[in-house]
Amino acid sequence: MTVSHLPAAEPLERIQCQWCQAMNPKTALSCSACGAPLDIRNLVSESGWREAPRIRDMTEIHFSSSTCQVEGEIVPVAEINLGAGDSIFFEHHVMLWKDEHVPLTLMQLSGGLKRAFAGMPFLISVATGPGRIAFSRDATGELVVLPLHPGMELDVREHAFLLSSHQISYSFVRVKGLTNILFGGQGMYMDRFITTSTPGLLILHGYGNVFERRLGAGESIMVEPGAFLYKDSSVNMDVEFQKLGAGFFGGSTMSMAKLTGPGRVGIQSMYVHHKTE
Amino acid sequence: MFCTNCGNQVSEGANFCVGCGSPVKHATPAMPVNPPAQPLVTPSIAPVISAVLQAVFDPDSQPFTPTFGQPYVQPPLPAPSPNFKPPPAPVEDAPSGGTSSKCSWCGAAFDGDPQSCPKCGAILHAHNVVTRSGWGQLPGRKDMAKLQFGNSVCQIEGAYVPVADMKLAPEDSVYFAHHVLLWKDPQIQITTMSLKGGWKRLFAGMPLIMTQAQGPGHIAFSKDDPGELIALPLQPGESVDVREHLFLAANTQVAYDWFNPNVWFSTRSGDDTETHYPIGMFMDRFSAGDTPGLLLLHAGGNVFVRELGPGQTILIKPSALIFKDPLVQMHLHFERPSSMFSGWGNWGNRYLWLRLFGPGRVAVQSVFEPIEGEARNISNFSYATEQRW
Repeated sequence: MTVSHLPAAEPLERIQCQWCQAMNPKTALSCSACGAPLDIRNLVSESGWREAPRIRDMTEIHFSSSTCQVEGEIVPVAEINLGAGDSIFFEHHVMLWKDEHVPLTLMQLSGGLKRAFAGMPFLISVATGPGRIAFSRDATGELVVLPLHPGMELDVREHAFLLSSHQISYSFVRVKGLTNILFGGQGMYMDRFITTSTPGLLILHGYGNVFERRLGAGESIMVEPGAFLYKDSSVNMDVEFQKLGAGFFGGSTMSMAKLTGPGRVGIQSMYVHHKTE
Repeated sequence: MFCTNCGNQVSEGANFCVGCGSPVKHATPAMPVNPPAQPLVTPSIAPVISAVLQAVFDPDSQPFTPTFGQPYVQPPLPAPSPNFKPPPAPVEDAPSGGTSSKCSWCGAAFDGDPQSCPKCGAILHAHNVVTRSGWGQLPGRKDMAKLQFGNSVCQIEGAYVPVADMKLAPEDSVYFAHHVLLWKDPQIQITTMSLKGGWKRLFAGMPLIMTQAQGPGHIAFSKDDPGELIALPLQPGESVDVREHLFLAANTQVAYDWFNPNVWFSTRSGDDTETHYPIGMFMDRFSAGDTPGLLLLHAGGNVFVRELGPGQTILIKPSALIFKDPLVQMHLHFERPSSMFSGWGNWGNRYLWLRLFGPGRVAVQSVFEPIEGEARNISNFSYATEQRW
């Protein structure tokens, strides 16, 4: 009997990022697709909520021919070095600084002019490389880096998205009946991001800490509308009104978002609501 | 791609070499220090926009080549405004005999081999954290770091909303703005500092009056939002310009003055004209006299500082400015994105920037507010440059 000697294999070990499922070389300290630290294990609470990875200061993320560096840990800045031909899109009030020679274009949106944000019409701008441009938001929180693989659809709370790469297509819908209890509004918008055949990068800013949970088919969770951050479009969202108080005094009603799986749901721990006028 | 250290082959996009573990240097597209004065590309707008839209909406399309209606030409740098008074050059610290090291943040020279800088609290021996584009972070500071000024000590406590906790010597005093006093010993005497014209400046409905605390005793200051505390030790003769309401405290060796930065725009709706000051009506200037001083600022979010070379420009959100060296000049800059709908060009979709140019330091905070009046019909404005794409 002969012992067959397998040729010494190349080290093919890879680490899979627990956040975005991208494969990374064994020695990588952070995921090159989403920046999540690879040497920290998944932090999941007993009730099944997973903490969004806390991206280390100065971590670099790669997408297309561009890089994104995440800087700071109180209100993190996403500094983008756009490669030639790459572009990203974003809304108002998120640009922190930019190189003078990076061109800006407006994206065509239907109905965007009816939606105003902090006094400005709701318009999406597109910045095209090569050049540098940096983004941040107005309060403490975390950057949630979501590399979107082909065929993914994600619904995001209004004004929570910081930037997205141009491979992702964008639209929005209005959800009626939400935001009653805390903000007294008539509803809110939800941004929808869809990839088709090319992967793209979506960066959100969540206020406070961000947690994610994967709901099984038919599994439901009630979420305060102010905390809702994102969901897979396969997750169904209904508005439920619950009567508070009883007896003669009538009481008031509160609205909650009922999310039903299958798919991911993301929430933020601080309720900052930028109402669209 | 190959590792520059051991020559091992590394996969594209890897941050570290599999063979030796050393960081992989990615070839980042080199950015010119000064933007090219040449047109970027050909001047035809329709194919450009359709290309942009196609690329945005049709992910199958090939990456497009950006072509824009207006070629990029760097706007000229204006002559110094009449208000611009260059400050006297700071007096360099004469190197004393036993000096062994220098702090990279504040430039303080000191003897011996301490863990952190005695003037600004920065951890020494840690390398500076600088982003790829050249913005440096505030140097790390250990919680409870102690800073020395005069014969007094300031300890910086906490990392979320840091507190400056001072132990004042009998001969030392500090002054501070409203709403920043956290606690004090009963024996600390508090008096108001007379400021010429201070009643013209209002903050949260109160006139700006600086309050002075005289040692001996303990007194502590903090602001009301998460952010970073910036310690700026000023060398004799050195000055710094700070956007208003970011000041926390300074010792009385630091002279306080303010000036009109001449950055404003007015908006008109009907017969009403309103003037807006995106970086405030006044800017504070702090200068050290014959003795070194300590200036403490508080900024929201994270703080980034960069040094601009002579004539080098950067566009920043006006409300993100923290401080700048007096030699750095600034003015408004309007940027209009290109659009295939000509009507949209008038829809208030311009971006309002503060354009700064060197030489000198500039600091920004990552938290900033929307600029009031930005979207309205701007009728008049201070010196500004414009870029239409």
